[in-house]
Amino acid sequence: MDIFNNMLLGFTVVLLPWNLFYCLFGAVIGTLIGVLPGIGPAATIALLLPFTFNVPPVTALIMLAGIYYGSQYGGSTTSILVNIPGESSSVVTCLDGYAMARQGRAGPALAIAAMGSFFAGCVATVIICLLAPTLAELALKFGPAEYFSMMVLGLVGATMLARGSLLKAIAMILLGLVLGLVGTDVNSGTRRFAFGISTLFDGIDFVVVVMGLFGLAEIISSLDHEMKKEIMTTKVSRLIPTRADLKASWKAVIRGTALGSMLGILPGGGALLSSFASYALEKRIASDPSRFGKGAIEGVAGPESANNAGAQTSFIPMLTLGIPTNGVMALMLGAMMIHGIAPGPRVMVEKPDLFWGLIVSMWVGNLMLVILNLPLIGIWVRLLTVPYRFLYPAIVMFCCIGVYSLNNSIIDLAMATGFGIVGYLLLKLDCEPAPLVLGFILGPMMETYFRRALVFSRGDFTVFFTQPISLTMLLTAAILLLMNIAPTVRRKREEVFQE
Amino acid sequence: MNKKWTLSFMSLALVAAVFGLYPDSAPAQTFPTKPITFIVPFPPGTGNDVIARIIGDKLSKSLGKPVVIDNKAGAAGAIGGEAAAKAPPDSHSIIIASTTLSINMSVSKVNYDLVKDFAPVILLGTMPYSLLVPMSVPAKSIKELVELARSKPGQFNFGSNGIGGAPHLLAEMLKLVGKIDIVHVPYKGTNEVVADLLAGRVQLLFAPLVTGRPLVQDGKLRALGVCGNKRSPALPDVPTMAEAGYPTLDIPNWYAILAPAATPKAIVNTLNAEVAKIMAMGDVKERLTNQGVDPRSSTPEEAAAYIKQDVTTWAKVIKDSGVQMK
Repeated sequence: MDIFNNMLLGFTVVLLPWNLFYCLFGAVIGTLIGVLPGIGPAATIALLLPFTFNVPPVTALIMLAGIYYGSQYGGSTTSILVNIPGESSSVVTCLDGYAMARQGRAGPALAIAAMGSFFAGCVATVIICLLAPTLAELALKFGPAEYFSMMVLGLVGATMLARGSLLKAIAMILLGLVLGLVGTDVNSGTRRFAFGISTLFDGIDFVVVVMGLFGLAEIISSLDHEMKKEIMTTKVSRLIPTRADLKASWKAVIRGTALGSMLGILPGGGALLSSFASYALEKRIASDPSRFGKGAIEGVAGPESANNAGAQTSFIPMLTLGIPTNGVMALMLGAMMIHGIAPGPRVMVEKPDLFWGLIVSMWVGNLMLVILNLPLIGIWVRLLTVPYRFLYPAIVMFCCIGVYSLNNSIIDLAMATGFGIVGYLLLKLDCEPAPLVLGFILGPMMETYFRRALVFSRGDFTVFFTQPISLTMLLTAAILLLMNIAPTVRRKREEVFQE
Repeated sequence: MNKKWTLSFMSLALVAAVFGLYPDSAPAQTFPTKPITFIVPFPPGTGNDVIARIIGDKLSKSLGKPVVIDNKAGAAGAIGGEAAAKAPPDSHSIIIASTTLSINMSVSKVNYDLVKDFAPVILLGTMPYSLLVPMSVPAKSIKELVELARSKPGQFNFGSNGIGGAPHLLAEMLKLVGKIDIVHVPYKGTNEVVADLLAGRVQLLFAPLVTGRPLVQDGKLRALGVCGNKRSPALPDVPTMAEAGYPTLDIPNWYAILAPAATPKAIVNTLNAEVAKIMAMGDVKERLTNQGVDPRSSTPEEAAAYIKQDVTTWAKVIKDSGVQMK
């Protein structure tokens, strides 16, 4: 079969010693920067680009790809251990992963994250092999109306990220939307809420918000509560997941992989959207949704698989059509062009060794990463036993370095601190930051797609309902919303009846 | 007493030695005396940044001191431009600039002036834009496209990578010159709009030639014209804007290295000589060409004249089209 020949070709390329070495190097660097909060794969790839000038193109691409999916592995580590997302796509892992760590189950959380990521990586590689060109064409059918409806669906799903009061979750989403407004409007060029500060012209950086709300706020709040000290120094029970853990998570892994593979292909998709969607899905279909946020392993397994699958499938549109779906892919595209390769359908035909070598390297890289990460879990977990008076300042320092490394801007640091304080207040008020983050991301995107859809339709609002894909998604959102509200309504009625 | 004397003497000797090793910087003879800051007003990985890193890498080898890339991104280059204009007059800062900074001066309020605040060092190259249409639009030349658009007023969409960017302004010029009614659909960045162009939701787009080239060669898009004073060797059948009958659109994107205005002439000339040598290197030329840039070289005076002309040209385009960022 053609596929086997191609895979074989890929293997002959990847198994050359220097390609293997660069793959490992990229994966390790990727994991490291994934663990470090703030600095992400995009900046690292840009910084390491000059190093790739002296090696053959395949090797360069293998290394850069390794950095990207490696960072998805590393991001989960800090999310689980200290509630600081190392990568933006690991934000969701903080929710249940950190809860598990507080219960002394950091080891199983990390292990499941690694294993789920590996599974997703393998499956995604196969998907790329089989379906690359067809999927890319399919993604082109998504116009702005479809994207808008998908975001609406996502926003409704955001309410499911909420553990407590629905009202508070909605309030958080709205707050996130408002924060997302800051910046320059794409459609009119007007600067909103920038107050003349030039760093705000492009909006508040996502990393700044997340660092403050999740990382710094958690530290401040931990210092507030005496009992948190004990939990951090609790002896970790075991490193290997139990049978029950595996049983609970394998389905979540499969679902996460499927979701991530689909969402990664869409422009604007990728790892971030996939992980959020997976979490919402898991919570929705769980038999006992109240476990989520308190250490439900599905909340770690699903999103972690989704973000790895999303990261890898986001290569498809870039490799087959030359359209990058997110910032990192745009960089990879630039790297390919520097090496004289123009991505597009011709790459598969003209340079099959490069194409298939890159794809197979993703599988090999995933394998290397899981072999690397599993034994390291013991070391990571021991980090938790460091006395908090050393650990917390170190974490704060890493956060600050990470935030500063984004734009070399002190204003970013000040904003992160501000968000830290805000996050602490929110925790005190029992409001959760996760819906805020989702509102922050989805809000501006929704507005952009909404207005663009209207420009295309020349002001005709029915376009959202006449396009089939868009209509389907809006209906699903409506149904989900009803399903969410209905039990609350019924419960209220029961309460009234009891009286 | 003895110990004290020995210690004081030794410390004095040490201080003298340290000062002796670092003489006061005498500019022209011993330039550079410390690492050079190379300001890039855009995020890492973008066109400007990649070019700056290629050149900075070679420059540090030839000058013997590290060339440190400083990404100061934001506000479409305005933040970096301002930082460079206000850079300390110690002759050790340079900035890479491109058309975006020139356009910005006329389209919004910025705190730098490309003509007054800088002493251009050298022109690095130009990057042409191309006019792309999807296969679903049956026009095979710009004239045909204009006629088609005139027959369907208000139905054609043109994309851009953002308001006030070169693709937007070039399309506005086409609108004025061709007297057509086309609707602007702004995007954030070129990649999203190319996806919609391929799908036929957007009917025309001015995009860097290098972005469209592979898709044109694969037959997924058609290139109707190239903005630049010569045809592109990669797409020899595509006429230039002037050949197609629209000479006012022949404005390519340019890249240049500038130094703050206070930099002494001698240093500007030294930098010019070094970078010119780098631009002549085969591998540098190849890498730039792969990025879509036509490498060239120039004297500082030529660069200054070119940039001044460019600022004036775009100012007129912006005035005629009425585009402004608030």
